[in-house]
Amino acid sequence: MSSMELGIGLVLICALIEGFAQVCLKKSSMLVAGKLAWIGMGVGFFCVEALLYSIALQWLDISVAYPLGAASFLAVSGFSRWLLKESLDARRIAGLGLIVLGCAMVASQG
Amino acid sequence: MGDKNPLHGLTPALALALAFTIVLDTLAQLLWKHAVEGLPDNAPLQAILLAVFSQPWFAVVICLFLVQLWNWLGVLKHADLSFAQPITSISYLTVSVASWWLFGEAIGPVKTTGILLILAGVWLTSQGPRSTQADSEPPR
Repeated sequence: MSSMELGIGLVLICALIEGFAQVCLKKSSMLVAGKLAWIGMGVGFFCVEALLYSIALQWLDISVAYPLGAASFLAVSGFSRWLLKESLDARRIAGLGLIVLGCAMVASQG
Repeated sequence: MGDKNPLHGLTPALALALAFTIVLDTLAQLLWKHAVEGLPDNAPLQAILLAVFSQPWFAVVICLFLVQLWNWLGVLKHADLSFAQPITSISYLTVSVASWWLFGEAIGPVKTTGILLILAGVWLTSQGPRSTQADSEPPR
């Protein structure tokens, strides 16, 4: 595995973590009790994400790493549907499809 | 709550804050890359962490993110996320152009098309119905 592929893998893991962190923040906004715990968890995940993204930036151009981070839209939608039972309409699914296609094209230029 | 026509709510202050978001995003990414270039290669995690804390550019990046958070919360107070998010995703373009200009990164037709597809995708996903109730309505 080349360091470039490792970097792309790391950015995709960052996108997953971002999705989970966003769900934590949304959870905190929906609750009365236990707000701080969810915010703390969200911020903690963001810190881990920042660390992994820093490592990825050592190997990747930012013109690859940053747009590839848009994969987090997919993670946010997936986790919101799974954990928050939010709905996904056709328009949103089409948008996510475009993002995936765009990310694949950007990643191929890594 | 958001206006039916989102442009109705676009005051000069909001437009400025949105532009500021794009500038901050771009600046933070460029400086982050610059800061990371100064980190030791293939070093153990402790050495990298130590370098992060002794590298002043990381502190600047963190400050930029705090300013960004403050600015973004202000934007969201006056605009719907579905209106603000597609506009700020323009930073995917500005970051790439700036990285080509400052770091000489290669931006070919495939990468450009990919970024434009991502922009279109963000725009599509941010439109459409929202189900979360407003704060003023009591949750069921």
